Formats: sequence, C-alpha cells, structure tokens
Amino acid sequence: MTRAATVILAVAVWGSGLGRESLDLSGTAEVRGKSVADAVVWLDAPGAPRPAHPVEPVLDQTNLQFSPHVLAVQVGATVKFPNDDRVFHNVFSTHDATTFDLGLYPVGMVKEIPFNKPGLSRIFCSIHPQMAAYVMVLDTPYFAVSDSADHFVIRGVLTATYRYHAWRPGGPILNSQLDVGPATVLTVDWP
Amino acid sequence: MIRRLVATVWIAAVALPVAARAQSITTEAAVSAGRSTDGTDAAAAQIRVFGPLMDSWRLYFEAAWGNVSTQGSDAFGSAYPYDGRVRPMEAFTERLFQPGKSILGLRIGRYRTPFGISGRSDYAYGGFTRAPLIRYDPTYGLSNLYFEGGVDVIAGRPALSVEGSVGTAADAGPDCRRPGADLVIRTQGYYHSLIVGVSYLNTPPTLPGTIVQGRTALGGIDARWMLDGIELRGEWVDGEPFDGVVTRGGYLDLMVHRPHFGPVTPVARVEYLDYSAGPFSAYPRRVTAGVAVRVNTALAVQLDGLHQGQPLINGRRTGLDIGLTYTVRH
Repeated sequence: MTRAATVILAVAVWGSGLGRESLDLSGTAEVRGKSVADAVVWLDAPGAPRPAHPVEPVLDQTNLQFSPHVLAVQVGATVKFPNDDRVFHNVFSTHDATTFDLGLYPVGMVKEIPFNKPGLSRIFCSIHPQMAAYVMVLDTPYFAVSDSADHFVIRGVLTATYRYHAWRPGGPILNSQLDVGPATVLTVDWP
Repeated sequence: MIRRLVATVWIAAVALPVAARAQSITTEAAVSAGRSTDGTDAAAAQIRVFGPLMDSWRLYFEAAWGNVSTQGSDAFGSAYPYDGRVRPMEAFTERLFQPGKSILGLRIGRYRTPFGISGRSDYAYGGFTRAPLIRYDPTYGLSNLYFEGGVDVIAGRPALSVEGSVGTAADAGPDCRRPGADLVIRTQGYYHSLIVGVSYLNTPPTLPGTIVQGRTALGGIDARWMLDGIELRGEWVDGEPFDGVVTRGGYLDLMVHRPHFGPVTPVARVEYLDYSAGPFSAYPRRVTAGVAVRVNTALAVQLDGLHQGQPLINGRRTGLDIGLTYTVRH
C-alpha cells in the first residue's frame, strides 16, 4: 500500500513537469547599471527535484584567499574546504546559519562541512583576518552566481512563473516575479 | 620618519595595485602605530603582493618599513625590523604539486627561516606585540627576522611531511648572521587537532669570527593544538649559538577564539630563556596577557600587559603595549 502510494506520488510529481520545457536561464547582475560579480540569483521552486548529479561544492584556500569569494549551494550539500596554501588555515563561521570551526590544518588537508540550514554563512580564517568568503545556502536547485563579467546561468529551469531573489555581498536582497520562457533573460539591477 | 611612512603607504595604495593588475594578483597594505610604557613609540607599514603566476607558480613579495622612538626595547618587534629602512622581506616564487594524497612543494627566493613556528601570520598582529624571547635577536637564540635566500622543498603527506631548506642567511634584523651555507630541516606531523614539528638549524652565527668560534646549531620542537576555538601552541629550542654557549628556552601561547567573545581574542604567553654565556648570561622569564580586537575588517587593536623577572629597558619589570593596525586588500 505504502509502495503503491509512493509510486503514485512519484508519477504525480514527474507528471507536473510534463509538457514544460527545461531550459537554461541566463542573465546579468548590475548595480546601478554597472556589472557586479559574485551576485547570487535564485528562483523559488518548492518541490523541484534535486539535480541527479550535483556538482561537489568546494571552497578552496589558496594564495591566502578563499576561492570562490561567494559560493551558492543547495540545502544539504557538503562543502569541501581544502588547504592549498603552505601556511595553516583555520576556517570558521560563528554567527550565521551554519556555525563551525574547523581548527588548524596544514597544506593538502581537506575538511568538510554539511550545510543543512538555508541562509547566509560568512566564512573567515582566524589566522588571516583578510580572508573572507560567503556561502549562501538555498532551498532550491535553481540558482547561480554571477561571474566577473556579471553573467550568470541557472541550468535546467522548467518553464513557469517564479518568484526570484538576488543577493550580493554588502547589498540587500532583491525580490521579484519572473515568467521563464525560451526567450527570457533576467537582468538583476540593484538601485 | 613620517616622510618614509607616507612614501610606503603611497607605494602600497597607488603604485603596487597598478603593477599588480594581472588577474588574481592581490595587493595588501598594512599601516600600524603603537605605544609602549617602555617609552617606545612605533610606526610601521608593509605591502604584500601575492597570487598566481604562470604554470601554477605563485608569487609572494613583501616590503616593510618600521621605526621606533627608542632602540633597545623589543616592543612591537614580533615580526618586522624597526630600523627606519624600507626593505624587502619575503620575496619568493613557489609551486605546489599534489599527486594523489601526497604533497610536494618547491619554494625559491627569500623566505622566513622555516624552523618551528615561523610564519609571518603566526607572529604579526596575532595578539602579541613582541616576539618570544627565544625568537628575539639579541638573545642569541633564533630570530623572527631570520630569512633564508635559497631553495626550500616540502614533501610527504598532510599527516607527515619533511621540509628542507638550503641557502644562505639573508636576515632583515639588526643582528644578521654571517655569510655562509645554511641548512634547515623540519618534520611535521598532523593528527586530529594536534600538529607537532621537530626542527634543526645549522647556520653561521651572528657575531663576527673575531669574537666567537663555531656555528649556530639549534634543535627545536613545536606543537599546536586547537579545539573549539581554543588554541595552545608553543616551542622549545635548545642549542649552541656558537661554541661554548648554550641557549635554551621556549614559550607557550594560549589564544581563545570563541563566538561569544565576538571580535575579541584573549591571548596569554608564558616564556622562559636560559642564555648561559659566563659573565654575559641572562635568564629572563616573562608572562604576557592581552587581547586582539578586530574592530572591523580593516582595523585591529592589540593590547598586551607583561611582567618579567628582569627589568625592561626603563628599569621597570612590567609593561603595557598598545598597537593599532589598519589593513586594506585590493
């Protein structure tokens, strides 16, 4: 009985996407018309399936910096923190959605942290105060981070109407509505 | 003093970012000012340029200037010289290979002597305004201003690695070692929250050959342990700075980095040094307690109170140091 119900539910969920096209939604992020990198853009999509082969998120420590500066992941993702510098690093986040302190670890070591709560985590190194990064944890599979040329692409979005959000370091969250179709290009512009 | 400070800041703020416009090259500038009850006022500036070069090679370059109103105190001498000169500090290129789970690193140029706990970030603006006694030039032990000009190789795995450096002394402090071949070997092990290293240094001494004979030969053990934001670290060094003289000592640091302390990191140090050199012997002991406060991402304050068995330069046994550092990264 339970198995039958599960099959019916799965078919219903799969069927809800039938007839809807899956496409890549591209766009640009700007502040008063000027390009902005490291902006996170995401679409609300409750019930959307997780990607079958999600990318393993990595926040590298190299050249006394975190790379990337902004990392967006889906809730439940485990982020790897390799130390690729010849100095020690001590990665921590103490005030935000996911709090942790990885302690000191040397070159070549990789530590991991699961991010199970949605929200923003600010990441620091206790030894190198100028090192800082952000991990934005999102409860949706539809998200992207703008590159150095301000472009972003959200992969595999089903055509529909979505509420979207955008955040950038030091800026407020923008919220609006968007009809995603084959010709849709999203321009996020902070005033 | 002010003119040089302005010149260094100008280089940091204007000239280097232009030169370092290559993608991913980072420029960092720091300006500091401090005052100690030793009767010492200090000012300093550093510029650092670092980042990836071609073919996975990395660049690190640092230049520093510092000056103090009174020589003879070790206040603010934790990692940089304070002699009023603009001078290069570390200047090297390095490459790191990570075949499988192994590491192999090569470094060429001028770098801090890789003996024990030796990194710039271990001592500079980490909450302590003074170098450990065992790492302060005039005590004839080690020095945080010892630099090597040569080649450094690290090999092994993250859990156990060996580092070797061959070159010549290229020191930045007032007490520079004599020219000559120089060897440093360090082994490091890592297990859970504990990092332990064993080091050996064989190098020409600082004093001239007309005064002392032999070479400096030092052995040391260092350890760091960290759990839930509480870090303990320390070093023990033992050896001969030259024939017939023994330097032996160490220190233990405590640094507490807890979320509910916010931007405040309390620090404490106990240290011990025996310099056994006949009539010139000295046996200082010192305790230090202080805080490092990160006001914002750029501004940091360090406040240290210390007490030692032998008088400081003004005849008092206690001292209070305060330092402010403003750092920008581009």
